Amino acid sequence: MNRAMSRVFTVAALLFVVLVVNLTWLMAVRADWFRARPENKRSIAKEMKIKRGDILGFDGSVMAGTVRRSGYYHRAYPGGTLAPQLIGYDSVRYGRSGIEARFNDELTGQATGLGVQNWVDKLLGRRPKGAHLKLTIVPDVQRVAQAELDGKKGAVVALDPTTGALIASASAPSYDLSGLEDHWARLSEDPGAPLLNRPTQGLYVPGSSFKVVTASGGLDSGKVTPQTKFVDTGTYVVFGGKVTNYGGAVYGPNDFTTAMTLSINTTFAKVGNRLGRTRLIASAEHYGFYQTPPLELPAGEVVPSGRYGKKGLLKPDAFMDPLDVAWAACGQEKMLATPLQMALVAGGVANGGRVMKPYVVQEVVAPDGQVVRTTRPEQWLEATGAATADQLNVMMQRVVTSGTATAAALQGIEVAGKTGTAEKGDGTNLAWFIGFAPADDPRVAVAVVVEDTLSTGGEAAAPLAAAVLKAALTQTDLP
Amino acid sequence: MSRRNQELLFLLLAGAVSTMAYVSVYASRFREIDTVAVVHALAFVGIFLLLHIVERLLLPQADPFLLPLTALLVAVGLTEIFRIKPALALVQGQWLLVGAGLFIATVVLVRDHMRLDRYRYLVGAVGLALLVATIVVGTTVRGARLWIHAFGFSIQPSEFAKLAIVVFLAGYLDDKKVLLSVPQRHLLGVPVPAFKYFGPLLVMWALSLAMLVFMKDFGMALLFMSIFVALMYMATARGVYVLAGAGLFAAAGAIALNVVPHVQDRFRVWLDPWPYAETTGYQLLQSLFTIADGGILGAGIGRGYLLFPDKSPVVPDLQTDFIFTAVANEMGLLGAVGVILVYLLFVWCGFRIAVYAPDGFSKLLAAGLAAAFALQTFIIIGGVTRVIPLTGITLPFVSYGGSSITANLMLVALLLMVSNRTNILRGGTELERRRLAERG
Repeated sequence: MNRAMSRVFTVAALLFVVLVVNLTWLMAVRADWFRARPENKRSIAKEMKIKRGDILGFDGSVMAGTVRRSGYYHRAYPGGTLAPQLIGYDSVRYGRSGIEARFNDELTGQATGLGVQNWVDKLLGRRPKGAHLKLTIVPDVQRVAQAELDGKKGAVVALDPTTGALIASASAPSYDLSGLEDHWARLSEDPGAPLLNRPTQGLYVPGSSFKVVTASGGLDSGKVTPQTKFVDTGTYVVFGGKVTNYGGAVYGPNDFTTAMTLSINTTFAKVGNRLGRTRLIASAEHYGFYQTPPLELPAGEVVPSGRYGKKGLLKPDAFMDPLDVAWAACGQEKMLATPLQMALVAGGVANGGRVMKPYVVQEVVAPDGQVVRTTRPEQWLEATGAATADQLNVMMQRVVTSGTATAAALQGIEVAGKTGTAEKGDGTNLAWFIGFAPADDPRVAVAVVVEDTLSTGGEAAAPLAAAVLKAALTQTDLP
Repeated sequence: MSRRNQELLFLLLAGAVSTMAYVSVYASRFREIDTVAVVHALAFVGIFLLLHIVERLLLPQADPFLLPLTALLVAVGLTEIFRIKPALALVQGQWLLVGAGLFIATVVLVRDHMRLDRYRYLVGAVGLALLVATIVVGTTVRGARLWIHAFGFSIQPSEFAKLAIVVFLAGYLDDKKVLLSVPQRHLLGVPVPAFKYFGPLLVMWALSLAMLVFMKDFGMALLFMSIFVALMYMATARGVYVLAGAGLFAAAGAIALNVVPHVQDRFRVWLDPWPYAETTGYQLLQSLFTIADGGILGAGIGRGYLLFPDKSPVVPDLQTDFIFTAVANEMGLLGAVGVILVYLLFVWCGFRIAVYAPDGFSKLLAAGLAAAFALQTFIIIGGVTRVIPLTGITLPFVSYGGSSITANLMLVALLLMVSNRTNILRGGTELERRRLAERG
């Protein structure tokens, strides 16, 4: 009997050994793997014990602050909901997005290099305080952008073309960050996609606003000049198909500047084919197409622009026949672009051909007020030379003074721009305006897109751009 | 040093450690060290000192390690329960008092465990009746019918039935062990005992199956079946019973898997919890996350993230079935393994008592109780750490719950009685021997 009993004890002991081995695997070997699982929201809840850093606007006002309730810090939005899709949510139940996600380590004080106090706290095992972020977003301009989009669907991006600093980034329809957890189901299933950050995630047919890119390539190649003559018959037949003008218009003889001013499709289709597919696509690449703009947002929240097929972004050298090239030169065919990308196109022209690296976080400020990181403006791409940029600048000014974008004109300030109107086929249009001001010393570049409108880019998008440009240019302090 | 003085020394050590742990949790919760905390801790130590004095009077030669080990486990449980929900710790403290009362009642009334053998059929019938009563008038909580609500209390009768069944089986199998171990005939060349003696195995199998189907309680069914198989094996030393038992339980499990959706869910979640992260697998995954988060050293008692901002526990049933999850999170791998070692020491003491016991009934009783204790511990810790499918049973002495702590204190009382008798027969004083004889 004793032998059998000691055998049973051995089995029991072995079972306990199994428990210990499994616990070691769980708690030591795979602990980090379990912590990193997306289903695991424990880190978020634990971080709610940390006083999360504030997110400040460029004017120093608090866009996202904290309130403390029973030992936990919750986000509060004293300035109303400003740029919710860009700032992102911070939820125990649904995780994080936007700047909240990308800068979580800074906001929770867990990153390195957050000042002496933070270092001492960590050394002593004390709970650190979160660092604050000062954004380049100017709340006054952001508010105007959001108000202009109110009741519409679309996006507004405004940035400083000389630095790449994002001044405003609005996405509509929008939502209230403080009510996210209560309305999650409705928000996540809403066909209007209020959670989507349209400026960086919205892929739109750029339409005629893309003609700036085509023109840039054309002028660079020397195949056209602003004075090159064309004749429009209303139809350009190419490769068994044809390119027509918006609304069936016929313009007769025109030069390249007039074609830009009045947005003549046939002329740009011809320029596209003079360039050929390689140089057309290369011009787009020079402005940042086919790359993910390096704005400081989580992966997936900024998408690249370019030609898209069924399986996503096509390779730059994917095949195009001359008809494809003709329509692509007019921003149609398979070409898709984000509002941010189109603002970078406008900004590149404004900045003498140099596209600045876009950024949104101006400073990281330690809890004790010490500025521990400042973003220095950097050039991202050399889109074109100063000569071509100057020619484009003049042509784009003509668009506003006497072309399709007269609604973007401002009193006493020269505005340069380009409209776009993409017909969706269901009777509604996608209205675009991209531009910058003042034309002779650009300080603000914008891209505006309005979805589901019955009007053109000049009617639906240009007035919004004017309001945003005006609001930005009346600011005394811009990033 | 005498056994009782050893026990006193260990108890005081366990009491000191427990008091420190409790007071530190109290301090981290209320940000001050209050006399209330010290009073709580002293009351806890007092209860165990009372049991120690009872032992000095009635069980002078009982094993000196079991009670201090029990005190350690109870302290771990009370501290974690207090940390999760302070009000429940006071209730659990009262249950500890009731359990101490039942411990004393067991020692005083039963006097000598050998007397239980005489009433084995009565005890077995009581055990069976408790289970049947649960099936008939029990209430279903979270899919399993485990509870009887009576007089404002909820009782989990299976915890007590477990003791009764072990007492009955120890007596029955000790009687029939020879008949069970001698093969009467051959089936396909394999020697098989007579059906008459094989019968109990089938009865037990039917009982486990009934528990599965009617109580939907996979954990208790597994526990009862394993206790039975372990006792059969220890009584007869024949491996065929283990194989037969495992086969029968597998068959029962297969039937339950197809008949009881609750069991099916548990099994599926065990195989792969990830697709059910927001539904049936939520509890298990949260448990795994919470355990993994403990790391090697743990968050520190009272400092782990165990409660949501609204004070509800991060894992449902954290203070009962998932108490080990809380322990692992706050005490880390080292603490969790330490707790498992305490259980192992407890089980080792139980088996040692069985090995030294002079008669078959005492041996089977002690070994059966120790095996039951070990298996219950394994089933629930294995469940919350995904070694085996999750089943809702309590972690002895640590989980919140009156039935569990009282029944397990009775289990300790029985083990102590067996060891007391053994030690007196093997070398007690003349006086102790005479007293023992008077009691029996």
